[in-house]
Amino acid sequence: MQLSINGEMHDIPADYESGVLLWALRDHLGMVGTRFGCGAGICGACTVHVDGVATRSCITPVSSVAGTEIRTVEGLAEGEVLHPIQEAFIAHQVPQCAWCMSGQMMQAAAFLAQNSAPTEPEIVEAMKDNYCRCGCYARIKTAVAYAAELAQENA
Amino acid sequence: MSKVAMPEQGEKESKSRWRVSRRGFLIGLGVTGVGLAVGVAVGRRPFYRFMAGTLDGASPPGSLSTEPSVWFEITPDNQVKLFVSKAEMGQGIHTALGQIGAEELNITWEQLQVVQGNTHRGPSDSSGTGASNSVTGVYTPLRQAAATMRQMLILKAAEKLGLPAADLEAKAGMVQAKANPSQSLTYGQIVADVTEWPDVDPETVPLKDPSQFEIIGQSMPRVDFRTKLTGQATYGYDVRVPGMLYGAVARPRTIEATMVSVDEGAVATMPGVVQVVVDVEAQFAGVVANTRQQAINAVRALQITWDEGRLWQQADIDALFHFDDASAGFTIQQEGNAPRTIGDAPTITADYRTPFAIHAHLEPQAAMVHVREDGTITAVASTQSHEAVRGDIAEITGIDEAKIEVTSAYLGGGFGRRLTIEAAKEAARLSQAVKAPVHVGWTRPEDMRYGYFRPPTRSQFSAKVENGRIIALNHNHSSAEVAFAFFPGFLQSIMGTDFGAWRGAFNFYTAIPDRWLTSWRPILPVRTGWWRGLGLLANVFATESFMDELAAVAGADPLQFRLDHLGNEPLGKRMAGVLRAAADKAGWSEPVAAGRGRGIACSVDVDTCVAHVVEVSYEASTGQIMVHKVTAAVDAGLFINPDGAIAQTQGNIIMGLSSTLIEEMLVKDGAVDVDNFGNYPLITMDMAPELEVILLESDGQPRGMGEPPMGPIAAAVGNAFFNLTGVRLRQLPFKPAYVKAAVG
Repeated sequence: MQLSINGEMHDIPADYESGVLLWALRDHLGMVGTRFGCGAGICGACTVHVDGVATRSCITPVSSVAGTEIRTVEGLAEGEVLHPIQEAFIAHQVPQCAWCMSGQMMQAAAFLAQNSAPTEPEIVEAMKDNYCRCGCYARIKTAVAYAAELAQENA
Repeated sequence: MSKVAMPEQGEKESKSRWRVSRRGFLIGLGVTGVGLAVGVAVGRRPFYRFMAGTLDGASPPGSLSTEPSVWFEITPDNQVKLFVSKAEMGQGIHTALGQIGAEELNITWEQLQVVQGNTHRGPSDSSGTGASNSVTGVYTPLRQAAATMRQMLILKAAEKLGLPAADLEAKAGMVQAKANPSQSLTYGQIVADVTEWPDVDPETVPLKDPSQFEIIGQSMPRVDFRTKLTGQATYGYDVRVPGMLYGAVARPRTIEATMVSVDEGAVATMPGVVQVVVDVEAQFAGVVANTRQQAINAVRALQITWDEGRLWQQADIDALFHFDDASAGFTIQQEGNAPRTIGDAPTITADYRTPFAIHAHLEPQAAMVHVREDGTITAVASTQSHEAVRGDIAEITGIDEAKIEVTSAYLGGGFGRRLTIEAAKEAARLSQAVKAPVHVGWTRPEDMRYGYFRPPTRSQFSAKVENGRIIALNHNHSSAEVAFAFFPGFLQSIMGTDFGAWRGAFNFYTAIPDRWLTSWRPILPVRTGWWRGLGLLANVFATESFMDELAAVAGADPLQFRLDHLGNEPLGKRMAGVLRAAADKAGWSEPVAAGRGRGIACSVDVDTCVAHVVEVSYEASTGQIMVHKVTAAVDAGLFINPDGAIAQTQGNIIMGLSSTLIEEMLVKDGAVDVDNFGNYPLITMDMAPELEVILLESDGQPRGMGEPPMGPIAAAVGNAFFNLTGVRLRQLPFKPAYVKAAVG
């Protein structure tokens, strides 16, 4: 089968077709920016977009996303131009180890696409199911709000 | 912005190119592609000085002589590479070390590239990255190495320009005439074609006065973020090499299990299986396959007979924490005679406990190992010590360490767990069997159940208070192994006590005349070891909660009571400084808002002083404690990167709150009773309080920041809860059910 990822079609061999999206991305396609954390859909490190919806790729069967448009962290920036959420995470020096950050940014980007001017409680509600073991929550919250501002300015 | 880079794989270099200068520094000369390299062996300087003196500049024999812990290279194209041995696990060490080096070498931030060393190319560091010692240990030697290099460049530029060295100055990666800056050479131009360098004395070369610092003390942006935020950074779990296969390994259910026999059945013919590797004597059964899932499926299909051993329960383990055998306790601190002063009439006694905790870094253990037919090995792992990984692989494979190249990739969190990498040992065994590169990445349940844990602790206190002052405090402490789990027996007997176990428990209130700390070390059936801060969080929870109990008994304000018991020595003054700073900022003298409680606690760790003021509320119907605000004051002497220090403080507080409020691992029916975040959840954004961080610079000497800010958090929360409810919580974690039970 084939999957459309970041605007390009990719062949998925039988060995990966029967599994979940995460390992097809990481181990078959080498798109390792989507991280593995728990394999149970809890921590959010593996979050990608499926037709624009933030989705936990570690529990998403490959077979269920045929015909959809998948976007990963590798597809956030356009060439050298970073996505506002990436700009904001650098501006506020958000990460520490950064293993969870692809998932945090994909979660936030999908949220901001639906809510361009979020309140703080709305940001917390949208982001509260993504773990950060290094404890960067305060900065994530600030940076998501700042990304919304950046996106407004760019619009 | 400067970049950070991984060493190029397979780029071997001859160590013999280093020579030891008369002063014990290492000078690299005449190396292809490198103009000048200057290195220094951090932490081994007395040895080096001795060897250099003995041999008068000639290279002493043996590998120890030629392995600098950190070095610079200047290339003819005017780039400066700083090779560091310290692993980047989120603490920003590459940025901080880069700042120190760039400052003293007088280069621009853009000229610098920080390169993570590995066992073949890059610095040696047998101690690994941990214990919050990276900046402290490297600060002065790194500055001296950079200043030495700067001076060598000035002397050589003087020769090339035909000007006296005294008329020249180094600035922004160039040496220029003070009177006429257009007369200049870039560092790259200076190093080109030079074969003989002057021997500069690093002991007398002037270091910059801190008032002249332009890069140290600035919040330089982290060097690794663009690559990390675009998904391009390589962590251990991300390593991919041509022809790589995947490995998985069988695990027993119980902590004391022994493998008895393995029936491979038809596993070898399952889809994708390349090889089944069984060695019952080595307690190993694993599978190499084309995909991870195929390897995991195949391992599950192996019929393995285990002897499960004793089926331990948590109560059995808790019972090991006692003080019955007085002769088994190690004296840590004895000022005066606390037991005699307290006698049979303590003012109060108390008993505190903390549970097992899991590191739960979000990137599980992972490593790639390639054992080749020719007997050489390449390995990449997320590790805090590539040298430890090399040693482990050598032991497993029987191949000489010199033929094993280990690179530390980025770490998806470390927290003390990645000083030992079991996945690398497993990948080595599997790769040796199939003679192909094998990646072993643990699942979350493997990572949760088969590592080592922060040990449980117990603290039993008695104290005597007279006229509002503590006159004696006796602390009987018990913790399973922390550091000793990694030390050979002979070192244990030299050291006597496990310093990691009682870290944070030492009583720094020097105005208390009689202070005793005695530590017991029960041996558990569960592997225990390093966890961020070692015993810090658990022990300070006990000591600073009890300090609060004593303040209450004395009818004193908890802040004033602490200040009253600190001494006038430098540490006492610094502790008072952080307590006052946090309290002032948090409005300690003002009444706390209705429905809220406020608590304070402090600690010192690796000589970094920390105080936290915490505000909480309590939902009696659910038993939930809500932490609303944490105000932290930190005195680490000097902050290389203030924003990085704030980030470390914020992160320590959040991780510490997770441990305080939520995290608990128990042993049940002989096994670890958790397997994923469903039953071992971590703190989330909706529970994270408002954070305020105050940085205090006392004496200009930088100290560690990776762990100390965690110290007081659990005690400060417990003290705030007492302030609100009058109920003292003496056991972690403060899970709703436990809190409800304590409130009654």
